[in-house]
Amino acid sequence: MSSEFAIRCGGVGKAFQLYAHQNDQLKQILFGLWKKFYREKWVLNDVNFTVQRGERVGIVGRNGAGKTTLLQILCGITQPTKGEFEIKGRIAPILALGSGFDGLLTGRENARIGAAILGLSRKEVDACIEDIAAFADIGPFFEQPMRIYSVGMIARVAFAICAHAKADVLIVDEALSVGDEIFQKKCENYISEFAETGTILIVSHGLEFLKKLCTRVLWLENGVVREIGDPAKVIAHYRAAMKAEQTQKIARVL
Amino acid sequence: MLASIPPVYVAPFDRAWRNRELIRAVVRRELISRFSGSALGPLWAVLAPLLMLLTYTALFSITVPQLSAGVTVTDYASSIFIGLIVFNLFSELAYRAPMLLHEHVNFVKKSIFPSETIAWTATIRAFTYAGVAFAVYIVFRLLTAGSIPLTIVLTPFLIAPFFLFMLGVVWFLMALGAFTRDVAHIMASVVPMLMFATPIFYRIDQIREISRSAALWLRLNIVGDYIEMLRDLSLDGNMPNIFAYLGIVAVSYAVFIGGYQFFMRYKSVIVDVI
Repeated sequence: MSSEFAIRCGGVGKAFQLYAHQNDQLKQILFGLWKKFYREKWVLNDVNFTVQRGERVGIVGRNGAGKTTLLQILCGITQPTKGEFEIKGRIAPILALGSGFDGLLTGRENARIGAAILGLSRKEVDACIEDIAAFADIGPFFEQPMRIYSVGMIARVAFAICAHAKADVLIVDEALSVGDEIFQKKCENYISEFAETGTILIVSHGLEFLKKLCTRVLWLENGVVREIGDPAKVIAHYRAAMKAEQTQKIARVL
Repeated sequence: MLASIPPVYVAPFDRAWRNRELIRAVVRRELISRFSGSALGPLWAVLAPLLMLLTYTALFSITVPQLSAGVTVTDYASSIFIGLIVFNLFSELAYRAPMLLHEHVNFVKKSIFPSETIAWTATIRAFTYAGVAFAVYIVFRLLTAGSIPLTIVLTPFLIAPFFLFMLGVVWFLMALGAFTRDVAHIMASVVPMLMFATPIFYRIDQIREISRSAALWLRLNIVGDYIEMLRDLSLDGNMPNIFAYLGIVAVSYAVFIGGYQFFMRYKSVIVDVI
């Protein structure tokens, strides 16, 4: 097949229903046929793009541009309000590192659950749990309850799990900024290695990192794709726009 | 594509089977984390029901002679204990279900997590504790009465439909609880009311002697039916009425499927509201 795409996004839009009171939500369900109890806020509007297999696509955009929502839709966590998307293969999402961990359990136990969430069977987990431990490289802490971990250590375990999920598509959301330099290096190595066989979609504010890693960059603004293409070019435009806005604001203040 | 969609009445099982590894891992976590940090650990699962049983026995050995003639103290305590095992199971889940999605908000919002499995893990956990308590009862019965009715081997046929019934209830309350916190408050006042409408401290037969219509109304309480039938099998050695049994199995199954469909229908909306 010529169209070896991994991710295809066709006119995806997402509207959040904003409720004045939380209980209006219930009213909406009960009486929604007769009356609307919410305002709509479109955080994504008509997003179109296709990622070929083996591509590394970075996503940039300011806070609230809809980056995280887009990733959540692609991972299947939340449904798009309109449009459709398709992903080929198994996804490993690295969204909020370690947020699903239980502080009372050890790193090893949490790693087992995390791997099960990603769809690994017990046999597969048994086979790779030592590799996960080695990749996380936190020594004896791996057998300690997670509540005594530092943020960086939690991120290490979380990333190690995803790295062993045998995924075809890696979806990363600002995950790599918390680790120390050694671990960041390790993650970058892993991602470049992963890119040889799999597809990567990564959100980051580390523009230099994206420039180095990605084959294309997508600039998301106010829920629409403003530009997509060559990393150096898109990032330069993005930077220019941010700078222009900043000077404008400063000018207004003065 | 269409051929792979299982029919409605087995869909929940199909989903659960596909997520069995995850369910197993989370159940393990719940069982471990409940006792981690306590010195006696899992021993509490045995100690708590044992203390409860001993308290009743001690209490009733003083009061029962005045309450009713012809009932031994251990029979009476056993009867109440069976009632409480089932009702505690129900109330624990009914209290917890509305908050379940709020408890697991990180799982639901930040990873690919099949949220319907939360009901499975919560229910399995509750049934595990009830199972331990039931084992305590069996030992207690063997020690005090010297024997136990053979019909006790049939209890799995009672536990299975009750399990499905509770799953349905949990799915329903879980979805509702995500939309409004009132559900948790409602349950906090409904469950104690229900406790009195459930034959825990009395038996349906005693009510029937007083008022037939009241007994009939009480039979509508399905939790009470399960308690009565469990007493039949594990205390009296009677076979429950087969039509009554088939009736509650049918109702339980309907609750199971209904709860599942209700949850799945609102699943995608729930992610955005909690």
